[in-house]
Amino acid sequence: MKGFSRIIVLTLALCLAMGAAAQAATLKIGSQSPLTGSYAADGNDIANGTRAAIDAIQKEGGIPGFEKIELFAEDDACDPRQAVAAANKLLNEKVVGVVGSYCSSSTIPASEVLDEGKILMLTPASTSEKVTERGLPYMFRVCGRDDDQSVAAMKFMTDELKAKTVFIVDDKTTYSQGLADNVEKLAKEKGIKVIEHDHVNQGDKDFSAVLTKVKDAKPDVFYMSLQNSSSGALMLIQAKRMGIDAAIIGQDAVYHPQLMEIAKDAAEGVYLTFGFIDEETPAYKKFLAAYEKYGKPGAYSAYAYDSAYSLLSAIKAAGSTDPDKIKAEIMKIDTLGASKHIKFMENGDSGSNYIIRIVKDGQFKNYWDPQTGKKY
Amino acid sequence: MAEGGGCQGHKAERMDYFLQQMINGLTLGGVYALVALGYTMVYGIIQLINFAHGEIFAAGGYLGVIFLSFLTANGFMETHPGLGIGLSLVLSMGYCAMLAMAVEKVAYKPLRQSSRLAVLLSALGMSIFLQNGLMLTQGVYDKAYPTEFTHGGFDLGAIRVSYMQIGILAVTAILLVALNALVFRTRMGKAMRATAQDKVMSALVGISANRVISLTFAIGACLAAAAGIMVGLYYGSVRYDMGFVPGIKAFAAAVLGGIGNITGAMVGGLIIGMVEIMAAAYLPMGGQYKDVFAFVILIGVLYFMPTGIMGENVDDTRV
Repeated sequence: MKGFSRIIVLTLALCLAMGAAAQAATLKIGSQSPLTGSYAADGNDIANGTRAAIDAIQKEGGIPGFEKIELFAEDDACDPRQAVAAANKLLNEKVVGVVGSYCSSSTIPASEVLDEGKILMLTPASTSEKVTERGLPYMFRVCGRDDDQSVAAMKFMTDELKAKTVFIVDDKTTYSQGLADNVEKLAKEKGIKVIEHDHVNQGDKDFSAVLTKVKDAKPDVFYMSLQNSSSGALMLIQAKRMGIDAAIIGQDAVYHPQLMEIAKDAAEGVYLTFGFIDEETPAYKKFLAAYEKYGKPGAYSAYAYDSAYSLLSAIKAAGSTDPDKIKAEIMKIDTLGASKHIKFMENGDSGSNYIIRIVKDGQFKNYWDPQTGKKY
Repeated sequence: MAEGGGCQGHKAERMDYFLQQMINGLTLGGVYALVALGYTMVYGIIQLINFAHGEIFAAGGYLGVIFLSFLTANGFMETHPGLGIGLSLVLSMGYCAMLAMAVEKVAYKPLRQSSRLAVLLSALGMSIFLQNGLMLTQGVYDKAYPTEFTHGGFDLGAIRVSYMQIGILAVTAILLVALNALVFRTRMGKAMRATAQDKVMSALVGISANRVISLTFAIGACLAAAAGIMVGLYYGSVRYDMGFVPGIKAFAAAVLGGIGNITGAMVGGLIIGMVEIMAAAYLPMGGQYKDVFAFVILIGVLYFMPTGIMGENVDDTRV
């Protein structure tokens, strides 16, 4: 028995020693996002944004004490079960922090796993309110929140479009339904008639039945709350074919170059709520240079870059991988990032800056600012 | 922007709304019917549920993108859009026919004497192999179809019909008529029906079972490839996993019609498509549960008519 426990002690000591040795050489961080499946486009943008931030930090001299930074890019396929598995894998790899995930429905269960392991999580894309409302100490969000997003959309409907009626369709994810419910609630408060709030399934291709309903109801606004840009593109094509002439409002999840690539002329004139990104700032240009080798930035590339950059610079400033020390440094960040001005609040949010953008000539263009009520 | 449509009466009682939804249902049903035929024909001849069939459908969709993109890049689509689509359709159908025959040679033929379970597992494996093959070679992203002109349509009274809906219905009808002629009016069709009825007896009179089985796979694949391209053109994009859900629905359609029965597969496909659309159109919360309704119909029919609506043992019409 004595010999046995000695072996255990020795093994443990060896493990610790190896762990410490590895830590001295390599800083492990993780990313988790849907790299395959319906949301692969956004998911790969997030992984690439994280890679670009690592490249940028390395170029600036890296992080003292670490020879290299290793990224573990996990695929959660926007599936809550796979998200938990991915989080557990990152936990086992002993990463210091994680950038991800994309779908709120993945971020929420994954963050609970990571939180138990005291691993910091910064989401570049999950906009559901619940992400930061559970009081998790190591959860941060670099993008905006859906309650703010729905306010921006509603303000646009009342102030600019002077809409009287709205038809809402969502695809039943934590994100899309949450957002659609917010819009429905706000519409009732503002006296806009919600003709119907219908649902479709994630991954559906045929929307002809529900679009026939929309056409029949002749709403002023068709609020299309979908989880991804390819579904959005399919819905837009079918809406155009059907001859729906309502103003169509989408949101950040359908905001992706893929939308125009698939829908082509059917995407013209669609409004979207999306965070304001000033592409003229030096921070954005620095991001663009770092991102160059990964192709054209998608909707969340810059947010993922900012998330990873915040994490890495906080580790650098803390000079340690202790989660509480890193958190303290993250809370001190007050700087202009690629996507927006980054300053975290107590609950982990960093504020929203939604504006209305429009698809024009196959490009996303700034259209309307809810703060000033003016067109760009 | 139009005003709210309060003066038109409730949509549940209006004919134009119903007709519009019926056209939607027919289009969707036509696609299911084309895919369902491949399941039912293969089942009729070797009693195998060919799970790789959905992937042949997806491959057809991808080949459509490849051929159409090529033709668009050459400027051919601008001058001859109809001919370009027809050409892509024929080329993809030919390619998929060869793919399906290869699948049969590799995955099913060596197991012809084994238990049915072994072949079934081989089919599942083939399905996973092909789907991942598509993912690795074509990428995980959606691929956009290169054409824009499919977005158009015209008004027929209060009903909006798109060119693509007409196109899908026309191509489906042509293919179904051609298939019927092939199966019931040619020597080849007679050989297929004979093999389906009795393999040993038909071999004794000089029909090569191997050739007939290959041909059955090829024909099923042609129909699936056509459906794949039309789905791509209609919805605007394809993805590597696009074969899975329509595959399951088409399989349900084949079972609903009576598996092994060609007419049954057509009818089954139309019913599944129609039920899906009508459930979404008329039932509250129907949109999110439309798949449930389609499968509930399937369970109901199988409970009361275990051999499907058209019957599975009508030997004359079985392939």
